[in-house]
Amino acid sequence: MDDTYDVIVMGTGLKECILSGMLSVSGKKVLHVDRNAYYGGESASLTPLDQVYQHFGKTPVGDKYGRGRDWNVDLIPKFLMANGQLVKLLIHTGVTRYLEFKSVDGSYVYKGGKIYKVPADEKEALASSLMGIFEKRRFKNFLQFVQDYDVNDPKTWKGVDPNMNAKQLYEKFGLDANTQDFTGHALALFRNDKYMIENCAQLVKKCRLYSDSLARYGKSPYLYPLYGLGELPQGFARLSAIYGGTYMLDKPVEKIIMEDGHVVGVSDGKDIAKCSMVVCDPTYAPERCKKVGQVVRAICILNHPIENTKDGQSVQIIIPQNQVNRNDDIYVCMVSAAHNVCAKNFYLAIVATTVETNNPEAELQPGLDLLGQIEEKFVSVVDIFEPIDDGKESKIFISKSYDATTHFETTCDDVLDLFERCTGEKFDPSKVKHTEETVGE
Amino acid sequence: MFCLCSSPSLAVTSDNVLDSDLDNSLWARSFKMATGIPSYKVILHGEYGVGKSSIFRRFMNNSFTTATGKQSTIGLDQCTRTINIGSQDVKLTLWDTGGMERMSFIGSSYYRGAHAALLCYSVNNKDTFTILSQYILDIVMNAEGAKIFLCGNMSDQVPADGSGNVVTDADLELFMSQCQDVLSGVYRVSCKDCLGLEDMFRDMAHVLHDESMSRMTLRRDFVRPGLTPDRESHHSSDKRRCC
Repeated sequence: MDDTYDVIVMGTGLKECILSGMLSVSGKKVLHVDRNAYYGGESASLTPLDQVYQHFGKTPVGDKYGRGRDWNVDLIPKFLMANGQLVKLLIHTGVTRYLEFKSVDGSYVYKGGKIYKVPADEKEALASSLMGIFEKRRFKNFLQFVQDYDVNDPKTWKGVDPNMNAKQLYEKFGLDANTQDFTGHALALFRNDKYMIENCAQLVKKCRLYSDSLARYGKSPYLYPLYGLGELPQGFARLSAIYGGTYMLDKPVEKIIMEDGHVVGVSDGKDIAKCSMVVCDPTYAPERCKKVGQVVRAICILNHPIENTKDGQSVQIIIPQNQVNRNDDIYVCMVSAAHNVCAKNFYLAIVATTVETNNPEAELQPGLDLLGQIEEKFVSVVDIFEPIDDGKESKIFISKSYDATTHFETTCDDVLDLFERCTGEKFDPSKVKHTEETVGE
Repeated sequence: MFCLCSSPSLAVTSDNVLDSDLDNSLWARSFKMATGIPSYKVILHGEYGVGKSSIFRRFMNNSFTTATGKQSTIGLDQCTRTINIGSQDVKLTLWDTGGMERMSFIGSSYYRGAHAALLCYSVNNKDTFTILSQYILDIVMNAEGAKIFLCGNMSDQVPADGSGNVVTDADLELFMSQCQDVLSGVYRVSCKDCLGLEDMFRDMAHVLHDESMSRMTLRRDFVRPGLTPDRESHHSSDKRRCC
C-alpha cells in the first residue's frame, strides 16, 4: 500500500467505480480500496439469500425460498433508462460487454387505488383507460408536441413560449390535474411537484427521455442487468483495472492525512499511500458530510407476481405524491427469476420513498398494499448525506448518497459533476481505446 | 461481435425461449442467432504470475513478451477468435482477469455466462498447482455449468532432471483422480516456445461445441446497449401508421 498515486478512491459503490474507471482511462494512477471484502458497498447485490437475513439481523432461513444461491438482492433498487446517461456511459466505456440486460416488462402508475399501464406514446394514450375520451386527444397532442419540440426551431413551438413554466405548458394543452400527475411523475419522473413552477424545458426533456428510452428495446423504457445491480460496479471496476487501476478489498481505512488544508495520503493503520486527491462515498469521510434527509425502503419477498400487471416478471409502479397526499412519490420496483435475482417462482419487490414523518414504514403502506400477500419483509431507514463543500480546497471529493429515485439519472449527474470537479474537465469518452479484439483464422 | 439478440426484423416470440432452466440457458446463449456462428466464453483463471496474460496474448496475436506488469495488455481483456473444428466454425472468446487477482478479488461478474474456465498453473511452481482445488470451488460456485480445463504453462522451464519445485506427472495424475469428471481437458503448454497452445484452443472449441450441440435451445431476449440494434426505426414507423 505504501506507494504514490494520483487518486485514491474509497468505497466500491457504483459512483466510485464509474469514477475510478473514468480516471484510470484518463491516464491517472488510481488506487481503489474498500473496507468490505466484496465489490459494491451499498450498491452490492447480496447473495445468497441468507446474507440478506444477516444484513437485517434476522435468523437465516436456508433454502426456504428456493435455492439461496439463486438470489441476488439489491439494497438500493433502480432501473436503467434505456436511453439514459448510464447506458451512454456503459457504451462509451465498453463496460456494456461485461453485462447482459433485459427489458423491464411494464411501467405502471397509481390512480385512485388502482394501477394503470403508463401510456407512453400516442397509440397507447388512445387505448388507455386512465383518461376520458377528450382528455386522451389533448394528451396525444401534448406527446406529439414533446416529440417534435426543438428549442432552437420556432416552427416546432406551436404557440408555446419557451419561457413558460411546466404548469403553464400543461394549461396550454388543457391537461387536467390527473393527466398532469402521471405525466410529471410517471413519464418525466419528477420526485415531487417543485418542477411545476420551473421552466418547461425540463419537463419536455424528461418526457422525451422516457419516450426515446421506450423506443429502444420495447415493452418499457427500463433495463435491468441479469444477476442484479451489483454487476454494474464490478464492470466499471474491471474497466479501471485493465487501465492500470490497483484494487484492494477488505482494506480498513484508518485515516485521511491532510497537510496545509489538502489531502496528501490515506493510512490503513500501518502503511500510508500517498496521493494528491481522494474520491470517496460519505461513509469514508463522515465529518465532511451533512445529513439532508432519509429514505425508507422495504424489500419484500413474494410468491406471486403483482396483481393487474398481466403477470409481468419485472415492473415499476409509481405512486404520484398527490394520489396519497404526500410531498414525495412512492416507488415500487419488482424483479424476478427472469433477471436471475430470485429463485424460480419467487418475486422481489422493493417499495421506497423519501421520509416525511416520524413513522417511515407507515409511509410505504400504499405501495405495500399493491403487493398482495408478502412472505417476508425487510425494512430499512437510511440517512442521505451530501458533502459540505465541493472538495476543491481539500481535494477530497465526496459523492452523494443514493436517493429514492428508481433510475440512475441523478446518479450519473453526480458522477459527471464529480469528475469535472476533480479533473477540471469534462469526461472525454474518446480516450477509451477499443477494448475488444476480434481475430480471424 | 457476439450480440445474442435477434434483430427486430427477425423477432421471435418469447414462446420459443427456454430460459427457465439455468443450465440450459447458459448453453443456449452460445447461439448468436439460429443461423449465426456459435460463440463460447472462456475465462482464464489461476494464481497471479502463472502466465495467463501470456496465454491470452498467444491467443490474440500469437505474440510473446518477457515484460511484466500491465503495460503490455492495457485496455485489453477479451479477444474473440474463429476456430474451425472440422465440420464448422465456432467462436471462442477468451477473457483475461485484468490483473485484479493480484491484490484483490476478481468479483462474481467475471464468471457470469462463462461456458468454460481455463485453469492455469505453472509447472515449475508447485504452489500454483496445489491451490487449484480452491479455484475449482470458485468456478463451480460462480459459473454454474461451466466446463473446466486445466493448463500447465511454462513447460519450457522444467529442469531436465525434474528437480526443484516442479509439478510431476504423479502429482497431476493424483489430482486428476481426485477431481474425477470435473476436468474436461488437461493440457501442458509453453507460451515462450509456443508449444501446445493451438492444439489446446482447438480441442477446447471441440469439447464446448459438442456439449452445446447436445443441449441446443434458443434464446434471444438479451439486450446489450450499444450492441443490440435499436428498434427505433421500427417503432417510429409504427407511430406514423397510427397517427
